[in-house]
Amino acid sequence: MLNILLVDDDVEFSDVVCHIVEFLGHNINTATSLKEAHQWFENNTFDHVLLDFMLPDGSGLHLLDHLKTIGQSPKITLISGHPSVKGILAEMCEPNVGHLLKPLQREDLELVLNGPKKAVKKAKSSGITRHFGGLIGESEVMHKLYNMIERVAKTNANVMLMGESGAGKEVVAQAIHNASQCEGPLVASNCGALSKELIGSELFGHEKGAFTGAIARKEGVFEQSNNGTLFLDEVTEMPIDMQPNLLRVLETKKVTRVGGNREIATNCRVISATNRSLIDLAQNNIIREDIYFRLAVFPIDIPPLRDRKEDIPLLAKAFLDQLNDENGTAFSWTPAQLKELQSYEWPGNVREIRHAIHRAFIMSDPQTSDIILPDNLESPFSRVNNQTADKPVSAGQTIEEVEKELIHATLDKVQGNKTLAAQMLGISTKTLYNRLNAYGGIGEYK
Amino acid sequence: MTSENQTEQLNKLVHDARAPLNRISMNAELIKLVLENDMPKEKALDALNKIINNCQQCSASLQKISDSQ
Repeated sequence: MLNILLVDDDVEFSDVVCHIVEFLGHNINTATSLKEAHQWFENNTFDHVLLDFMLPDGSGLHLLDHLKTIGQSPKITLISGHPSVKGILAEMCEPNVGHLLKPLQREDLELVLNGPKKAVKKAKSSGITRHFGGLIGESEVMHKLYNMIERVAKTNANVMLMGESGAGKEVVAQAIHNASQCEGPLVASNCGALSKELIGSELFGHEKGAFTGAIARKEGVFEQSNNGTLFLDEVTEMPIDMQPNLLRVLETKKVTRVGGNREIATNCRVISATNRSLIDLAQNNIIREDIYFRLAVFPIDIPPLRDRKEDIPLLAKAFLDQLNDENGTAFSWTPAQLKELQSYEWPGNVREIRHAIHRAFIMSDPQTSDIILPDNLESPFSRVNNQTADKPVSAGQTIEEVEKELIHATLDKVQGNKTLAAQMLGISTKTLYNRLNAYGGIGEYK
Repeated sequence: MTSENQTEQLNKLVHDARAPLNRISMNAELIKLVLENDMPKEKALDALNKIINNCQQCSASLQKISDSQ
């Protein structure tokens, strides 16, 4: 609540303004002349003075001078019916003097008294729901996923997460852990990152002196995650000869530390993750069948980003909001940029879009609110993968088909110049013509 | 009357015509507040009467400007 003095010789006008300002929750007093205003300041202080420019006994600017001499510095808003006053104010360069033009509007009064509304930004950032504390997306496929997470969280079944690299397997693991409200912690371990020698010690722990360098006893991740969740990332990269040990722990729910002779009971849900397809797992003997059935009591497929493109604007906003919060910036997307992001395939999934946004964020000028996307969103990785995917040579093609494809690709490259194409292919121009004729005429390469 | 005097006279007349407009605008804002917040309708009626009076005043001031030309 502010203490306000309104100085204006129009009593009827002052009367209405008083009603409105009081309704906005402030105290207001009025003066109709400079003399009256001086009197008010003799025994009172004010936070804000609304000051008419033309008063019967002088200009409003005289009050400014008077306030300086008596050492008071309330915020001042000059009110006048003439736009030229703004120019005079600009020359004065007083930081706490503002200006409003008559006829006044209630919004203007609110703005000078209460300052700009700060709540808007907060409301915007909280507009995006993070399901289970982390997952973003309102598409149908994601709601199916949320449904599955909710169901499996109530049980203690082991879960296997399948999805492409970058699709968010660890975030889903965290979501299941959050939703299950278990007492213990979530412990994550990457089976692909561990050497064959160390994997046993990492998973099951070791006793002091079990092997060279084992200077102290160590708890394995199965023990650490007791009553909680154990997340085994890239579980299919575990050497196949270590898998029987894992199977035993999964079946008996007991671990024996390396070099130890005591079985320790462990009660944890195992969430494992792989970016390989089921067919790959089955065909290439990557994981033992018995282990698969133990781990994948409840398999969950995480959809790739290209199958839920409607979520891209939400993700883009959420990532940008987060970066804005961390760095105190105010970047925002234009609808055209969101469309551009949506039109790209994102082979690297959510991880790739997050990386692209972070990069764009760093490249953009923090003084503005415009974020600048690179001309080409593709990452170098996806470009290489595309090139190989565009021209596949697969088993089952005849030599003639591959040869035809090669000749056409070469001709495309040299804009149909047959002499040049024949040179590149290492055949004579005559042979090239013969081949083209055999494929049904020279056609477009005439 | 010199042209300088004429300009000064005109400025004063315009100022007089503006005053009722400012009151009209503020009273209209007050009526909006009354309606938006279910306040007693007497307040709104009072403000509407003031608007009507000020319209008369404004019209009279404009007539003075017209006569002075």
